[in-house]
Amino acid sequence: MARILTRTSPSLSVFACCLFLLFSPSMLFAAELQIQSDTLLRVFERDTTGTGDELVAPIYQYLKLNADNFSVEGLSFHAYGWGRQELLDSDFFREQSSGELIYAYLEYTAPDAPFSARLGRQYIFSGVANDSIDGLWLKGTLSEYFSASVYAGQPVGLSTTAGRSGDSIYGGRLAHKNKNFYEIGLSYQTSQNDGDTAANLLGIDLSAGLPMNASLYGYSTRNLETEGWAEHSYEVNFQLDRFSFRPFYEYYSYLDYFDSGANATNPFKLLALSGEDLSTFGVDASWRQSESFTFGGKFKAYSYDQNQASNLISLIVSWNSESVELTQAGAEIGYMSGDAANNDYLLLRLYGFYDELGDRYWLDFISGDVVYALYDRDILGRSYSVFTSLGAGKTFFNDQLTLRLSGDYSQDPYFDDNLQVLLSASFAYDFSL
Amino acid sequence: MPKPIKIQYFLFLLLTSVLAACAVQTQSYRVPAQHPEDSGIGKRPPICVDCHEASDDQFNWQQFNHTTYFADNHRQVALRNEQACAMCHQTSFCNDCHATGLELKPSLKNQTETYRRTPHRGDYLSRHRIDGRVDPSSCFRCHRNPKASGSCVRCHG
Ligand code: HEC
Ligand code: HEC
Ligand code: HEC
Ligand code: HEC
Ligand code: HEC
Repeated sequence: MARILTRTSPSLSVFACCLFLLFSPSMLFAAELQIQSDTLLRVFERDTTGTGDELVAPIYQYLKLNADNFSVEGLSFHAYGWGRQELLDSDFFREQSSGELIYAYLEYTAPDAPFSARLGRQYIFSGVANDSIDGLWLKGTLSEYFSASVYAGQPVGLSTTAGRSGDSIYGGRLAHKNKNFYEIGLSYQTSQNDGDTAANLLGIDLSAGLPMNASLYGYSTRNLETEGWAEHSYEVNFQLDRFSFRPFYEYYSYLDYFDSGANATNPFKLLALSGEDLSTFGVDASWRQSESFTFGGKFKAYSYDQNQASNLISLIVSWNSESVELTQAGAEIGYMSGDAANNDYLLLRLYGFYDELGDRYWLDFISGDVVYALYDRDILGRSYSVFTSLGAGKTFFNDQLTLRLSGDYSQDPYFDDNLQVLLSASFAYDFSL
Repeated sequence: MPKPIKIQYFLFLLLTSVLAACAVQTQSYRVPAQHPEDSGIGKRPPICVDCHEASDDQFNWQQFNHTTYFADNHRQVALRNEQACAMCHQTSFCNDCHATGLELKPSLKNQTETYRRTPHRGDYLSRHRIDGRVDPSSCFRCHRNPKASGSCVRCHG
């Protein structure tokens, strides 16, 4: 983790160290610590220099830590990150950063009040926010009818452009709820990159109960910079016996949706300039025919102000073993058909997973996957992609350690013959201090 | 640092103190921090209404049913109810698909978990040209900031 920290921005490491120092006395009283480590070794071939294929063999280390039951009731610490090391000196990863601290925060949940706070690097999902920040997030219930959350800090996603000074992000969500009849949420976010506005968004979300246990959900966002509606998404969710349905409608104005001010990156910058409008509608449905068989289907129609329309149809069937939880097999077929031929493609997928083989064989589970796509118009001179993967794994020490080996082979417009091997070791350890 | 930002921070602090003060006094329904461990929930994506009512006057369980397309269509429930997801999922679970600064796509990081419905399975470099053209809105949710579109730069400039 230290390695990952030093690779990310210096201000963050200082920040994280302060966090630790500040709380180290209570750290000592940590009663429970959970560690999960995943190590992945990938081996594949790439032509990185234009002189022929060479082997690339990166090793990835993911580390997750949860600590709770400190001397202060309601306090906990959570961290997660990854780092990569190339073992064979290939320069395949030359331009990419070699690790990331995904989160590292202290959390406090008041034991007998509806209030909680997080401090540090964290990921925020709330109304218009779907962002990683270095900062503070507070959540609370204000009364039977109102709840609110607010956050402020520095946006992690903007750290790679123009350094971090002058970067800031803050926002929040205020929700009004009347039991289970309805909930209306108002959310706001603004972020600055190097002092210039990157986002300035207002979101309105709605959920309302309808008769027969159906519900209506809606979400609209307004871009306060361009002063236009960026998105409207509305859906109804209902269940009839063993069927569930979700008809939906969505609208996007590219100019307002893809505009991200000082932050704009391609291809989204170009999309914003196109001034396109997209409307989609459709339904997805799921039918649990029996304990073992589940069917799913989806239809989605896309229509535009400028482009030519497209439709998507997808069907899925999956079979589950009744006795072994994860043993499953399934098939999926998808067809995208556009008025423009270069949008047409057919997608097929077959997969299987067989668990709890341990009684009979040395291995505990095996897995397989085939994904095939057929394009109406060739892409880089090829009309199809095929991807196949086979894997197997075994657990040791009461499931504390899992080893997995998988190999995949693919042929597609980008790679003629692509073979890749992946070996992974996952280790989970819980202990009390 | 420019002046307006400081004012914003001040307003923010003010708001939060109010929030904290109010929070201490009230009682209302709140989901538990963790879904009960002995509930027998299992490892498959759960259909909540197998064990719970569709809804009562405080909580709507049906909306969380992990139906066939839940991996594609959870956004409306998640943006309103992150605490409910947190009962069963640590953020790291979400971060396989949602994070700033990932390199391995989810189907590669968990390659043997073929029973999961993850985005970008198989050869996505080719397919993304069509998906991205037909509906780029979902791409933007995950790739919108410069760091999350780092791997796109080599082709999209
Ligand atoms: C296998 C059965 C099972 C499934 C499936 C299940 N739960 Fe539960 N759940 C329980 C049990 C048992 C309890 C504890 C008893 C209770 O409070 O109802 C519980 C408790 C809860 C509580 C706390 C209730 C309270 O009174 O505060 C919530 C909230 C909850 N579950 C949400 C969900 C959601 C959301 C899903 C679907 C994603 C789900 N559950 C799926 C069995 C289940
Ligand atoms: C009652 C527990 C429970 C709750 C609450 C819950 N989940 Fe899940 N979820 C599960 C389990 C169990 C699985 C299957 C195990 C796995 O994939 O690791 C799962 C799987 C998923 C998957 C993968 C589905 C797939 O097809 O592979 C997604 C995405 C997901 N959950 C998102 C959410 C979101 C978003 C929320 C909140 C709105 C949420 N979950 C709430 C228990 C829960
Ligand atoms: C298997 C991959 C996967 C996992 C795991 C996953 N998501 Fe998602 N999530 C998606 C996809 C795909 C979308 C985009 C859907 C769309 O465009 O409608 C999405 C969209 C969202 C959005 C809307 C974002 C926006 O900007 O509008 C939220 C919020 C969200 N997910 C929350 C969660 C949470 C919370 C979890 C963990 C409990 C989670 N997701 C786990 C795939 C995933
Ligand atoms: C739920 C989040 C999510 C959504 C939605 C999403 N992506 Fe991704 N995508 C990822 C992650 C995570 C990766 C792997 C890390 C990376 O390359 O940034 C990735 C990788 C990619 C890659 C590189 C794939 C490879 O094999 O090298 C492409 C191309 C891509 N995404 C395009 C798209 C397009 C086009 C869309 C919209 C149709 C989209 N993505 C929607 C999360 C998402
Ligand atoms: C190997 C090169 C390559 C990489 C890497 C790549 N793309 Fe693309 N992308 C393309 C090509 C080529 C097109 C098709 C352009 C066309 O048809 O005009 C395209 C089209 C798109 C489109 C449709 C835009 C349009 O106007 O038609 C989107 C959206 C998109 N890519 C998103 C992404 C994202 C997000 C990433 C990174 C996660 C990414 N791409 C990475 C080559 C790439």
